Amino acid sequence: MKLRGNILISFVTLLLVQIMLSGLVDFGPLLFIAVYPLFIFTLPINTPVNRLLLWAFAMGLAVDYFTNSIMGLNSSASLVMALLQPQIFKAVSRKGDLENQIRPGLAQLGYAKFALYALILLTIHHIFFSMAESLGFTHFIYNLPRLFVSIAVNTLLIMLVEYSLFYKLMR
Amino acid sequence: MWGRSPILRGLATIILFLTLEVVSILFIANDSVFQRVKISGALMYFKSGISSATSDVRYYFGLREKNEVLINENQRLREQLSLYKAKAEMGDTLEGFLSVTPDFTYIPAKIISNSTNKLNNYIIINRGRKHGIQKDMGVISPEGVVGVVSSVSDNYSYIISFLNINQSVSARIEPSGAFGPLVWEGRSSDYATLTEVPYHIRVSIGDTVFTSGFSTLYPPDVPLGTIRRSSVIMGSYHNFQVKLFQNFNSLRYVSVVVNNKQNELNQFLKENEAKR
Repeated sequence: MKLRGNILISFVTLLLVQIMLSGLVDFGPLLFIAVYPLFIFTLPINTPVNRLLLWAFAMGLAVDYFTNSIMGLNSSASLVMALLQPQIFKAVSRKGDLENQIRPGLAQLGYAKFALYALILLTIHHIFFSMAESLGFTHFIYNLPRLFVSIAVNTLLIMLVEYSLFYKLMR
Repeated sequence: MWGRSPILRGLATIILFLTLEVVSILFIANDSVFQRVKISGALMYFKSGISSATSDVRYYFGLREKNEVLINENQRLREQLSLYKAKAEMGDTLEGFLSVTPDFTYIPAKIISNSTNKLNNYIIINRGRKHGIQKDMGVISPEGVVGVVSSVSDNYSYIISFLNINQSVSARIEPSGAFGPLVWEGRSSDYATLTEVPYHIRVSIGDTVFTSGFSTLYPPDVPLGTIRRSSVIMGSYHNFQVKLFQNFNSLRYVSVVVNNKQNELNQFLKENEAKR
């Protein structure tokens, strides 16, 4: 029960952070801000995948609705990310990590591993996001600079948000 | 049984994933439905509160009222101008002089929510059906084209910004008179591309680009930008990079274009279509 409360808190927090950042930070269309994936990364390991998918869908739709983008854009990308999250975590983490019901955050994984974990999942998210945005592969090459810039900046932002908001609380 | 067998659980996951993904894609395809939801209802009050709080920080308080005055004056002047233009065209006959209505009238509006950092940007303004705005009206500012009204509620309108990869404006280059669609390619909010200008037309860097007036959305001769760079596509077309006059980041007040001849024109077109 306590864990679910934590999930709700981080849901609302990250939604607010996402709304504020995407409203305030504006470097033109070359950079899109996506901080909310942090919520999906850090859902506790051992969460059933079905529940992960539902959370991701809810988060994506909420972000779409509040940041005034096309409905379904963020949710479709975050669904793919949520589906692959357990596999990526398994690949990144040590064996022992899987047995506890932990929140795979900065405090638990350490800097290097968390950065890698975030980077891989964000790359998946961004690729599917830009595909959904232009509905297909046609603009893919054209979108590459945008993709690289956004992945780099968002990884950095996510590390910052994770460090400033959740790191101390969870340690 | 459910949840115990790993195969069934995997299957359930995949089915759930596919269902949600299909729902998302259906949402993307039917975005116009949600646009209406977004601007009607209680959320708009909350939203307009937040966005005016964040954007007000950037504006000096004293300038605000002054702006409003200027906007109203501009609107009045523009209406008068188009009235006089129409009168001049009608000639000196008294009949014509009395019966003329201006081709375009303008409804001033304030932007509530605007974005420039996506590939599909949208704008919400604080005027809606009550104020006479309808779907598919053009929206301009003194510095260029802003977008097209996509859906309307009683008090708000949802506008597809010109900064949207699915938008285009019919544009004309001034001294040479060549025209083509001006599209935004999603790179920078300051530049757009004027495409499909025939190769033989001579254009020099710095020429001004205006709206052509071929569409019923925008009045002719709204300045859009200047030509900055040209490239040849497939040896038969020029593509020009156009530096827009409009700065979408600081855009605050816009005018919705009401085309008074729209109904007449549509009827005329329909009649001609029927004859054929």
